[in-house]
Amino acid sequence: MTKPKSPKAGKRCPDAIPRPQHTQPHLRSPRRRDFKTELLALIPFLRAFARSLTGNQEGADDLAQETLVKAWQSRATFIPGTNLKAWLFTILRNQFYSDRRRTWRQAPWDQEAAERIPGGGEDQLFSAQLSDTARALRCLSDEQREALILVGAGGFSYEDAAGICKCAVGTVKSRVARARKALMEILDGDDTLGDVARPAGGDAAREIMSQLDSLSSPDVGALGGKRRPK
Amino acid sequence: MTQQWETTVSNEEKPTEKARAVRARQRAIGRELRRMYDDVAQEAVPDDFMDLLRKIDEAEESKGGKKVS
Repeated sequence: MTKPKSPKAGKRCPDAIPRPQHTQPHLRSPRRRDFKTELLALIPFLRAFARSLTGNQEGADDLAQETLVKAWQSRATFIPGTNLKAWLFTILRNQFYSDRRRTWRQAPWDQEAAERIPGGGEDQLFSAQLSDTARALRCLSDEQREALILVGAGGFSYEDAAGICKCAVGTVKSRVARARKALMEILDGDDTLGDVARPAGGDAAREIMSQLDSLSSPDVGALGGKRRPK
Repeated sequence: MTQQWETTVSNEEKPTEKARAVRARQRAIGRELRRMYDDVAQEAVPDDFMDLLRKIDEAEESKGGKKVS
């Protein structure tokens, strides 16, 4: 059996959604419980990543739950000692794109165009509560958005992010760089968002900060509030 | 603040002041991104998730016939 190495040693799952395996007798053991415990601890991050992909809470939580089910079914293919978080994020990301492909097939309309309209499509209900940055994020391409979130917010290395997004490390780097540049352009004067995202020609940073004050709730101690493992 | 901003992200003509401003701005955006992400990660996990895990577990156990906890 594979021995757990250092947490950083693993390369993480190369293949997105591992085949479901139903009977894994060796997993009906304490190790199975460990897996579940780790899974539980990572739910907050699955939710956060899902939220950044979908742009809304309900869809994100559905996605995170689908991910949990898949992860649990596929747990035998997880290699202990490798990066479970990256493994889960890979599953979540695949699930996101496959769900969306299905949605497209069912309702063929120009979702891409809808997504580029701030507050359009799925974001509509939430747009009023979104900060400038959150709205600007919706204007990025999927590739840029996910790369930026993984590296810039999720704390993943470029290598891990490349594994999750199934692309080369250099590709992730350039996507992150382009995403940063694009975000700044959107926030600081590009008229893609027009008046929606940027009311006047004011100081965007100050604007963001003031919005943040009203957005972020200080009561972190609530149930299940989890700290980020390093 | 002028419109210079939007065109000078990778402009190297006047590296010093502008580049500094751009970097500062990028850092601010980075902080905001992390904050958005962390805000969600710090939310209480909805009960649905626990229910779901419990159900999965029960289903697995009844299938496997071996009790874990």
